[in-house]
Amino acid sequence: MSYYFNGFYKALRAALKALVTKRITLRYPDVKLNIAPGYEYDPKQGVGLPGFKGRHILFIDKCTGCQLCSIACENIAQCIEMVKSEETPSAANKKNIFPQIDFGNCVFCGFCVDACPFYAIYMTDDYELSSTEKSNLIFTPKQLATPPKRKEDLVDIKIKGRSAYHD
Amino acid sequence: MINLSVEFDIKGKPSTLSLSIGPQHPGSGHFRLIITVDGDIITDIYPDPGYVHRGTEKMAEYRDYFQNIPHLERPIIIDSTGITLPFCLAIEKLMDKEAPPRAQYLRIIMAELNRIISHLYWLGIYGPFLGHTTMFMWPMGDRELFIDLAEMIGGQRVTFAYTIPGGVRNDMPENFKDKALKIFDHFERRLKEYDDIFINNPITDKRTKGIGVVKKADAIDIGLTGPNLRASNVKSDIRLDEPYCLYDELDIKNNIPVLSEGDCWARMMIRRIELHESMEIIKKALKRIPDGSVKLPFRGAVRVPEGKIFVRTEAARGVMGYYLISDGGKTPYRVKLSVPSFRSIPGMPIALKNVRIGDMPPIYWSFDYWPVEADK
Amino acid sequence: MPIETFEQFIKRILTIVFWLLIIAPMILAPILFIVIESGLIEFPINPYALIAAPDLIMPIQLELMASSFFKVVVFPGFTTAALVATVMILFERKFLAKINLRVGPLYAGKFEGFLQPIADLFKLISKELIIPKKADKTFFVAIPFMLFAVVSALLSVIPIGPSTYVARSPISLLIFFAIMGFFPIIVLLAAWSSSNKFSFIGGLRALHQMISYEIPLILVAVSVVILSGSLDLYQIVIAQKTVWFIIPMFLGACIFYVASLAELERIPFDMPEADTEIVAGWLTEYSGMFFGVIQLAIYVKFYALSALFTVLFLGGWSGPGILPPEAWFLMKTLIVMVFMIIPRGFNPRIRIDMMVKIGWKYLILISIINLLIAIVAASILSG
Repeated sequence: MSYYFNGFYKALRAALKALVTKRITLRYPDVKLNIAPGYEYDPKQGVGLPGFKGRHILFIDKCTGCQLCSIACENIAQCIEMVKSEETPSAANKKNIFPQIDFGNCVFCGFCVDACPFYAIYMTDDYELSSTEKSNLIFTPKQLATPPKRKEDLVDIKIKGRSAYHD
Repeated sequence: MINLSVEFDIKGKPSTLSLSIGPQHPGSGHFRLIITVDGDIITDIYPDPGYVHRGTEKMAEYRDYFQNIPHLERPIIIDSTGITLPFCLAIEKLMDKEAPPRAQYLRIIMAELNRIISHLYWLGIYGPFLGHTTMFMWPMGDRELFIDLAEMIGGQRVTFAYTIPGGVRNDMPENFKDKALKIFDHFERRLKEYDDIFINNPITDKRTKGIGVVKKADAIDIGLTGPNLRASNVKSDIRLDEPYCLYDELDIKNNIPVLSEGDCWARMMIRRIELHESMEIIKKALKRIPDGSVKLPFRGAVRVPEGKIFVRTEAARGVMGYYLISDGGKTPYRVKLSVPSFRSIPGMPIALKNVRIGDMPPIYWSFDYWPVEADK
Repeated sequence: MPIETFEQFIKRILTIVFWLLIIAPMILAPILFIVIESGLIEFPINPYALIAAPDLIMPIQLELMASSFFKVVVFPGFTTAALVATVMILFERKFLAKINLRVGPLYAGKFEGFLQPIADLFKLISKELIIPKKADKTFFVAIPFMLFAVVSALLSVIPIGPSTYVARSPISLLIFFAIMGFFPIIVLLAAWSSSNKFSFIGGLRALHQMISYEIPLILVAVSVVILSGSLDLYQIVIAQKTVWFIIPMFLGACIFYVASLAELERIPFDMPEADTEIVAGWLTEYSGMFFGVIQLAIYVKFYALSALFTVLFLGGWSGPGILPPEAWFLMKTLIVMVFMIIPRGFNPRIRIDMMVKIGWKYLILISIINLLIAIVAASILSG
C-alpha cells in the first residue's frame, strides 16, 4: 500500500514543481531563434565551414557558368537550371548563364555548394521562404543575389536553475 | 493466403470481432495490424506491412555514390547518421581506404547524438499510447536542446547529410564543447524527474510489467536486434562485438546495459538507460578527439572497384546492415538494406498472444517499429 | 447566392443581427406608444414609467428573479452551468499546458487566449454534420440532446443558496442518483447506433465502468445520510453548521473523489475514450455541433458532481458573511473542480480489468468500513 502512496506522491510533486518552472516554448512569429550564420565551402582546402543550411546566395561577379552545381544536383533533387541573363556578358562568364533554383524541390543538402570551385554560391540563414503560389518559389539569379534581410528580436536558449527557456 | 478484406470468415462464437488497426488509426502509424478479438482477449494477429513502400533500393541504382547520401537518409529521418554510416563504411572498405581519425571521432559523436534524439522521440510517442499527455510534451521539449546541438555541427535539424564516403563534410564549431556539457548537465537533472513521473509511476508499472514477454530462446530464434534483444538477457552489441569507426579505443564495455525480464518494462528501461550512457560516450569522445583533417580528398567522380561487401553497425533501433555490389562504374549495381524495424515484426505475434486490447498499443510501440523504415 | 466561405457566413450573420437591432425598435416603439396611450390593452407595468424612474424597477426585478422561469434558465440553471463549463474548459487547457511546460491557447483574444471557447464555437457551427450511412438516424441525432437534457435535470436538484434552487423535494439525494442511472443507457445507445466496431467496444467499456462505480458513490452518500439524518440536500447543508462532514468522513470523501473521476471518464479512468486503442470510443462518429453539445454536456456533468461533493462534504454555502452565500458555494465548487483536473497531469490510463477490480473489490470494502465509522460518529455527535 505504501508503494502506491509513495509513487503517486513523487509523481504529484514532480508535476507541481513544473508549475514554478519557466515554459520552454519559443513564441515564434514575435521572436526568432538565433542560429549560426550560413554554410560555406572552401574549395582550396576541400572542407566546408559549419553553418546553417538555409536559402542560397549567389555572387554574380564570381560565377563563371561552369554548370557544376547543376550537375551535382541532377540526381538528388533536380532543382538547379541554368538560364541566360540579359546583361552584357562579363569576362568571367562568356556564355552568360547563371543558376536558377526551384525551392519547391530543393532538399537543402548543400552539395551544390560543395561542388562550386569558384566561391560563388553559399548558403545563408534565411528559412522563411513560403509563398502562396508555386511559381513564386522559383528564384531567378537576380533574386538569389540579394542578401536576406537582417533579423531582429533574436533569442537564445538559456539554462538557469531548473528551467531551460527561450529568452 | 489470407483474404485481406477486414470482414473475415469467422467461425465459431458470436462474440468474436475482427478489427483492423489500420493505416488510418491514431494508434498505429502507417502500418496495418489485423487482430481477431474474443470479448477483450486477442486471439489472432496478422501484421501487414507495405503501405509506404517506394522502391528506395531500386532508386539507389540510378544515383552516384555521393548523390546517394541524401536519398538514403530519407527512410529514417530522425536518425540520419545511423543509416548513412554503414554505407560510407562499405564504400571505404571496397576502396581500401580509411577516414582520418578526427573524422571517425566526429562520426561517433553524431551517431550517439542521433541515438539520444531518436530515443527521446520514442519516449515522447509512448505517452499517448499509455494515455499520459505530459509524457508526450516533456521529452519533445527537451529534444529541442539536442536538435540545437546537432544543428551546430550538421547545419539542419534532421537529415543533415553529414557523413560522406571519406569522412565528414565539415568540422565542429568552437563553442560546441561548452554548450554540449551544459546541456548534458541540465538533462541529467531532468532524467531524475522523468523517473519520478513516467517510469516509476505505479500505474505505468502495472501496465507494463509482465506484459508482452519475449524469452531469451525465442528472441535469438526469430532474430530480434538492438535494444529489444538486450532486454531479453542477451549481451549483443555491434559496437562491442565487431568494433567499427574507432569505438574500441573508447572502452565502452560498461556502457552497454542488459536487462533480463524481456517484457515491455524492460524494453522501456533499456532505452532510458541508453539515454544516460550515450551522453557518457560523447563525453569520453570529446576528451580524446585528436586534431587533423576531416575528409579524404577525392578528385572528380568516385569510382569504386568491383566487389561485394556486407557491413553492419548499431543504429538507434537495432542493427543496420548494407550489402553492396559494385561493378566498377559510377553508380552501384545493387544496394540492399537490412533494416532493424523489419526484424522486429516476427516478435509481435509472440508478444501479443492472449493479451487484452488495452495492452496492444504499449506492446506494439515498445518494439520501436518505424513503418517508413521497414517498408523502405 | 449560396454561402461558400466562412467570411460570407459571418457577414450574413452580422447583417441579420444589424437589421434586427436597428429596424425592429424603430418600428416597434411607435406601435407600442400608440397601443399604450390609447388604452386599448391593459398592461400591469407601465414600461415608460420604468425607464423614467429606475427606483421602481428594483422590487419588480427581484420578483422576476424569484420566478421559476428565471431560476431554470438563468441563475442556478442553464446559463450558469454553461458558463461555468466553458470557463472550466479554458482553465483546464491552460493549467495542463503549464504543467506540460508549454503555452495553451494564446491568440484568440488579447490576453492569453480568453476568447478561445467562442472561437471553438464558431468553428464547430460551421462544420458539416456527417451521419454514417448505416447508422440508426433517429437515435444518432437525438442522443446529444438527450444527454444534455438528462444532465440539466441532474443539476436542478442541487441548492446553491438558502433560497436559490430550481426544485426542492424531501428526497432530493435519491432523485439525483436515480437520474444518474440513465447515463449508461444513453452511452450504450450512442455506441450501438453509430454502427462502428470501435464505437461498440467503447460503449461496452463505458457501460462496465459507470455501473461498477455507482455503488461506492451511493454507499458513501448513505453514510452522509446517517450523519445528517435526512435525504434532503437542503437539510444536509443545514446539518453541517457545527462541523463540515469532510472531517469525520475523510475516507468517504476520498472514495467519492475516486468514484466521481470514474463516472466522468477522466484520466486515469479514461478507457471508454482511449485515443490510441479505439479511436474515440463511443463519440467516434459525432462531428460538428453534435460533438460540441456532447462536450458541453460532459463538462456540465462535471460541474454537477463537484457541486454534489460540495453539498455533501464541504458545507454547501456556509461561510463568513462578507460575501453572499452563493459566491461561497461557487468558490468551493471551483476548487473541487481544480482538484479533479490535477490527476490528468501526471497519470496514464488504467486497463479494464484493473478498473473493474478496484471498483468492485477495494472501493466497496472501504466504503463499508466508512459506513461503520459514520454510525460511530453519528452516535457521538448526537449524544
